[in-house]
Amino acid sequence: MIIVTGSSRGLGLAICKRLDSLGLDVFGLSRDVSNADFPSMSCDISSYDEVKKVVLTLKKKNKKISGLVNAAGIASMNLAVTTPPSVSQKIIQTNLLGTIFCCQLIAPLIIRNKGGSIMNFSTIAVSLGLKGESVYTASKAGVEGFTRSFAREMADFNINVNCIAPGPIDTNLLKGITTNQIHKIVSQQVIPKQFSPSAVCDLVELLLDDRSNSLSGQVLHVGGA
Amino acid sequence: MIDIKRDVFEIIKNGINDKTIQINDDTELIGDGSVLDSMKLVELCLALEDFAEEKGFDFDWTSDQAMSRSRSMFRTAGSLLSEFKNQMATQK
Repeated sequence: MIIVTGSSRGLGLAICKRLDSLGLDVFGLSRDVSNADFPSMSCDISSYDEVKKVVLTLKKKNKKISGLVNAAGIASMNLAVTTPPSVSQKIIQTNLLGTIFCCQLIAPLIIRNKGGSIMNFSTIAVSLGLKGESVYTASKAGVEGFTRSFAREMADFNINVNCIAPGPIDTNLLKGITTNQIHKIVSQQVIPKQFSPSAVCDLVELLLDDRSNSLSGQVLHVGGA
Repeated sequence: MIDIKRDVFEIIKNGINDKTIQINDDTELIGDGSVLDSMKLVELCLALEDFAEEKGFDFDWTSDQAMSRSRSMFRTAGSLLSEFKNQMATQK
């Protein structure tokens, strides 16, 4: 079974649908699971206790977990000096701590499976240092650092941990960003074109495949950075 | 409770490569004098989880609540045993 967070929309939903279409056993986690077409459970990943509840449920079901895709995330485009503290805390709590909670609590289930793959999500904003995304970028830079260290901790257990860092992908997260701004960011990628969620799904598929088991602790930029 | 001590220490011993080491309350599990490497420490946690399941409770080795009670339950075999027994008593 592969657990995907942020499964109700955006990249998380696209990834769930792709893996489901491949016949893989997908289990989605998100705050709202009312419209899910695949097995899901309600979970706010920014809450350690809620993630722990999910883990206890999965343990009771005796499911073998071979993958974790931490696609849940929030963004708020603001200059750092105009970002309210509650917004900063929410971004760090969800993007960084949520990823850490899922990794630390779900990894033992993957260890019991004798190995697997964990994917965290960052952003091209970390490499480019985009204006107006300071707090979001800080949360994702934390995810990249965590991924590198955690990959070493998991290597002995045959678990690969990598980070996918897309450029602007057409999802809800881009709401509020103008077409001009998107073009400006895309033009700074190595491959200067906007990729679709499908390109990210391809990368997830690749990282779940045994043929990518030499990759760990890496940040993979969709579009190149 | 004597059986629990014997069983927990046996589980710790199973994770150590040097089988001549005798486990007692003061055996260090983390730090410079530790008898376990980081990989073995994780395996020990999973083994204790399994043992707790047999005993009918959930062994929690990461939460604030568990860690604040014992500073670090992994300091010594004795502190780990104490936290294990505490959780067993409170959940049963």
